[in-house]
Amino acid sequence: MARSDMQKLLWVDLTARRSQAIATPDWLQEAFVGGKGLGAKLMNDLTSAGVDPLAPECPLMFLTGPLTATAAPSMRACVVTKSPLTGTFLDSYFGGRFGPEIKYAGYDGIIITGRADAPVYLWIKDDAVELCPADAIWGQDALAANAAIKRDLAAPEATVVTIGQAGENRVPFALVSCEYNRQAGRGGAGAVMGAKNLKGVALQGSRVVGVHDLPAFRAACREAHAAIAANEECRTLTYGGTSTSVAWASEAGVLPVRNHADQVDPKADRLGDEAQYKHLFLGKAACFGCPIRCSQMGAIRTGKYAHQITDIVEFESAALLGSNLGIHDVRAVAHLTKLCDRCGIDSMSAGGIIGFAFEAARNGVLQAPDGVTLDFGSVAGAEYLLRAMALQENELGRLLSQGVKRAAEILDGGTRHYAMHVKGLEMPAWGPRGTPGMGLAYMTADRGGCHQRGFMIAYEVGGREYKGRPVPAHTIEGKAEILKGEQDYLAGTDTLVKCDFGAFAVPPEVYARLLQAATGRPVSATFFNELGERIWNQTRLFNLREGIKPEDDRLPRRIAEEPLPDGPHKGQRISAEDMNRMRADYYRVRGWDAQGRPTPQTLARLGLNEPPRFTLPNRDKE
Amino acid sequence: MERMQIKTHFDRCTGCGLCQLACSERLLGGYNPHRALLQIAHQCENLYHFPTVCNQCENAYCAKVCPVQAIARDAATGAMVVDPDKCIACNLCHRYCPLHIVGVDPELKKSVKCDLCGGAPACVAACPTGALEIVHRTVPGPVKEES
Repeated sequence: MARSDMQKLLWVDLTARRSQAIATPDWLQEAFVGGKGLGAKLMNDLTSAGVDPLAPECPLMFLTGPLTATAAPSMRACVVTKSPLTGTFLDSYFGGRFGPEIKYAGYDGIIITGRADAPVYLWIKDDAVELCPADAIWGQDALAANAAIKRDLAAPEATVVTIGQAGENRVPFALVSCEYNRQAGRGGAGAVMGAKNLKGVALQGSRVVGVHDLPAFRAACREAHAAIAANEECRTLTYGGTSTSVAWASEAGVLPVRNHADQVDPKADRLGDEAQYKHLFLGKAACFGCPIRCSQMGAIRTGKYAHQITDIVEFESAALLGSNLGIHDVRAVAHLTKLCDRCGIDSMSAGGIIGFAFEAARNGVLQAPDGVTLDFGSVAGAEYLLRAMALQENELGRLLSQGVKRAAEILDGGTRHYAMHVKGLEMPAWGPRGTPGMGLAYMTADRGGCHQRGFMIAYEVGGREYKGRPVPAHTIEGKAEILKGEQDYLAGTDTLVKCDFGAFAVPPEVYARLLQAATGRPVSATFFNELGERIWNQTRLFNLREGIKPEDDRLPRRIAEEPLPDGPHKGQRISAEDMNRMRADYYRVRGWDAQGRPTPQTLARLGLNEPPRFTLPNRDKE
Repeated sequence: MERMQIKTHFDRCTGCGLCQLACSERLLGGYNPHRALLQIAHQCENLYHFPTVCNQCENAYCAKVCPVQAIARDAATGAMVVDPDKCIACNLCHRYCPLHIVGVDPELKKSVKCDLCGGAPACVAACPTGALEIVHRTVPGPVKEES
């Protein structure tokens, strides 16, 4: 009977220059399903404590889920490794067309270990796996490298992931650019790839991805499509992608402004959908199999930065490279974002670091080089720092490219106060003062400062109800329980691998029906929460093994100590005492001890106490 | 007389491939866009998406070059349809198709092409933006005589 997973993982050992297809163990799929789940278990099993993310032995994995590549709408895939920025578990998700192609080539995932002795790219065409020299492509930006690999292979149909110069330079927030220009952006997977001397992976697959029960699967797909078509949030995303969030976030008082000094920006609308429609948007592009088409393709048509083709300036980039830097010309922000995409750095971390640098320069802790303005509002200053970091052009670039956490440790001079990160990952563009549940989500997200592991703002200012009741914004009571449910559900559905935007509309029971019809395993609507809790504890175990302590589950000092100067949450902060209370509450609802460790009972309940271990055959010969 | 065909509108296409998923599902019982009977070219950094479907040509080279007359017009739908029992998988149809949209499937080992799903194309139904449209074109005299 057909099932929607391919029952094979491809292991590529770059050191030995060999590859091998490995049967995906049934127990692994049963307990962890795919995507994040598979990644959590494999990272735990395939690495030993303290593994250097940039060492050959650290795996870099491209993982799909049982619904990737099927007709289930809005599915993605993920990159999993250990983050060189945070030292934690890293899962980074991408849409586009590369994820499905992994399955069309016949695999549930690709596990890459080792380090090539010279720059290479991988060419996988069904069973044929080839390492091709990439010396001529090394040094090119991520999009140029995509084109170069297709030319080199004479395979315009191939789907390709690449790194830019930042990945080659092992910048710890370097991204992986996925066919086409969809980023596995956060946490530095691109640096892990660069450290392997791996410039790209090209795929072409001819396998058919089947499902267990086609009529039931088709019926569930129809339900999912109908839910998306009827959903207001999805319709807003179709209209203007995430750009519509800019003005909303400012009105709601959660938009980062000038390195998170404030959370309202009277000029926010200059960065949002109306401005982007006027200056950038031409048409829409969709990820594979997605009816939402949130990506708005276009070009900068006028001004200093014309003429470049641009994707939408996503909310996170618009805020972190815009309002957070005091820049309000959306064409300039599009230019900076494109530069990040091409050099292959995470625009979110980049915006956080540049904001930090501007503030440090204003405070006299950083000296601007001659002829460069390092201050809020300076596009040229931002561009200077982007290039300096990605291309490792100078001392300042090398310092800042370590991320705000390490840069603040080196610079000292009070800069830790405004180094806006959690566990080393620069904060997303949703300021948490006034929404402490969002703060707790940042404190406890497994990859550090991330908004996608539990988006509490939706409850706290977005009007979403919990158990039929509105959730007050400023209180801290009860937030841990809501957050646990969010984290578990999202982790559970990140095994499929769902897109967060499709998940606005598609309800748990429809995901359950899709998964059941696709795989034949019985799935209840509560399945994803139970699965997600197992995964969340598995990543916690990994992070504890890697040295994460309760004191790392905290927010930046600015958030704790500086009351907001303005806006609907004026006067709000999340004090050390608030954090302590929320953390204790959270550990309790999670079944963790006071040190943030899952108790033996919790592990036993989740089946994590004595699991089988996944190994790669004859890996010791590596 | 009027004849049904699928018209593409690249200005509405987002490149999502839902059409290809629907098509491969019908053809193969599973999913792979590369083996669907319509293709999408993503160009210019994803700025344009050009869908290509079979034109159901009046002057169908695929049928003319077929050495075993395996491709013929279906009387009910007007689509050019491959008879798999006749097809010898020589792939000449692919070679001479101006759109390269007909050809031998690697696993089925038979030429496959769009048959308009017997009159209710799955791709058109799956397209969320109206980039694929069922149109009826007027065909000129000589064909009328045939019918």
